[in-house]
Amino acid sequence: MKKLLSNWITQALLFLIVLGLTAYVSQIINNITPPYVLTICLFIGINLIMALGLNLITGVTGQLSIGHAAFMSIGAYASAIATVNYHIPFLLGIFIGGLIASLVAIIIGFPTLRLTGDYLAIATLGFAEIVRVVFTNLKITNGAVGFLGIEGATTFPIVMTIAVLTIFAMVWLENSRNGRAMLAIREDEVASSAVGINTTLYKIQAFAIGSFCAGVGGALFAHTTTFIQPTDFGFLKSVDILSIVVLGGLGSIPGTIIGAIVLTAAPEVLRPLSNYRMMVYGILLIVIMIFRPYGLMGGVNLRQAVRRAIMWPKKKQTGRGE
Amino acid sequence: MSLLTLDNVTIRFGGLTAVDTLNLGVKQGEILALIGPNGAGKSTVFNLITGIYKPTEGAISFDGKPLSGITTHKIADMGITRTFQTIRLFSELSVLDNVKIGAHSRGKAGLFQSFMRLPSMKREETELEEKSIKALEFLDLAAKREEMAKNLSYGEQRRLEIARALVSKPKILLLDEPAAGMNPQEKVVLMEMIRRIRDTGITIFLVEHDMKLVMNISERIAVLDYGKKIAEGTPLEVRSNKAVIEAYLGSGQFKSRIRR
Repeated sequence: MKKLLSNWITQALLFLIVLGLTAYVSQIINNITPPYVLTICLFIGINLIMALGLNLITGVTGQLSIGHAAFMSIGAYASAIATVNYHIPFLLGIFIGGLIASLVAIIIGFPTLRLTGDYLAIATLGFAEIVRVVFTNLKITNGAVGFLGIEGATTFPIVMTIAVLTIFAMVWLENSRNGRAMLAIREDEVASSAVGINTTLYKIQAFAIGSFCAGVGGALFAHTTTFIQPTDFGFLKSVDILSIVVLGGLGSIPGTIIGAIVLTAAPEVLRPLSNYRMMVYGILLIVIMIFRPYGLMGGVNLRQAVRRAIMWPKKKQTGRGE
Repeated sequence: MSLLTLDNVTIRFGGLTAVDTLNLGVKQGEILALIGPNGAGKSTVFNLITGIYKPTEGAISFDGKPLSGITTHKIADMGITRTFQTIRLFSELSVLDNVKIGAHSRGKAGLFQSFMRLPSMKREETELEEKSIKALEFLDLAAKREEMAKNLSYGEQRRLEIARALVSKPKILLLDEPAAGMNPQEKVVLMEMIRRIRDTGITIFLVEHDMKLVMNISERIAVLDYGKKIAEGTPLEVRSNKAVIEAYLGSGQFKSRIRR
């Protein structure tokens, strides 16, 4: 017990050091990188946070959601209203954005998560459209004109620190009792309930945590662009986030990280192609899916691969000895 | 006193009565087999017990508590676990993870613990790992623990399903055709395992088609035909029961195979 406690303290300290280092290094990068590149990096971070959330819902728990942008918009508007109308500090505003997004996810999760597969996808799509229409008609969101005057408070160090925090949280979650239950639901729902897993509870948990990430991402987005309108969060935005998860490899955290980098950077890298840009982007997506049908990191067990790489020379040695 | 009691249980799917006023008691510590021709309603009985189906009429009680209106996962919590006729493993996960998930209902850690990774959660994880490896050793699968479940052979997959159902230390284990698709040697090993599981104090209720296995290991047999129970008794009694021979065993060819 004592050993476990000291282990925990060491790990907690290590975690804080990593987080501090992230903030410090990204601050340095922030100072030396040209603004254009920095903005791309910022959006990579924001997309990564949202994609990690969707990865938990779709990749880990196996619930196909194509309305992730709805939760992003809820987070964006909630935080914008909080910081502009109620003068709440920015960081607290991000948290409020995430919290409200996850509350909404819990409320709509109860009826919709009874559905599976394609039916759930359609339900989430419908929900996303409803949210968009509501934001277009509400007075507090300034309707279709858009919400103006948000402070551009999002900085690269903040985004990076939150992204690293999200990665840690997702890795921890996946290697816990809750994460295993979520994986089990993806694999076989009937068998999961037969071993005592409350499938509704864990689906809603995954949905709430995933939507929290989307809300945080939306809040960061709103405070980057300083202006948001309902059309920012349409169906295409949901598809963008989903493609990051699918291209990276459903259920793979390293895959989601790579997917977020590749898919956010690609349209910018391809900018010299001007008119052909989005066409080449589309071809890139198709080519990746042909050569890696399960995504870039799909089916790769990173831990096992690393272990094998380390073990390999040793195995060879013993082999020679025999 | 029966551990599991089915009292006048009936279920109808539209016009079809799959199980018809079934009365059955499973006694603590016994090996009871449910047999019957294809489509007799055997698997439906298991689905009724585990709450996947709700009986149209009648009641099921376990350990003196009624099971009506209790969800499947809570029934598993109470100590009823099962395997499936068509294997239902978490195929993209490792063998060890499959078994760990089997012990889900015995764990306590919630969301807070998974994010904080407190010592109490670490200890629970270590205990869980030990327990899971023990269950795998019991079913002779410990060497395969890192393997993905889908890469196991058919017989191994069946055994893994049993390991997953056992790790939570249930009071009763429901086995739905555990020998299906196994070769003769594997069946002998399976029989031995079922006996050993019973000897640890777990009641066994199985549905099986393999008569040799059923006659060998069960202490009591119930026979189902068109959803109705037509006989119940020791293997010897059932073997010589006229209704069983007529309805289930049918032709003389089948009869002679049983008598051998």
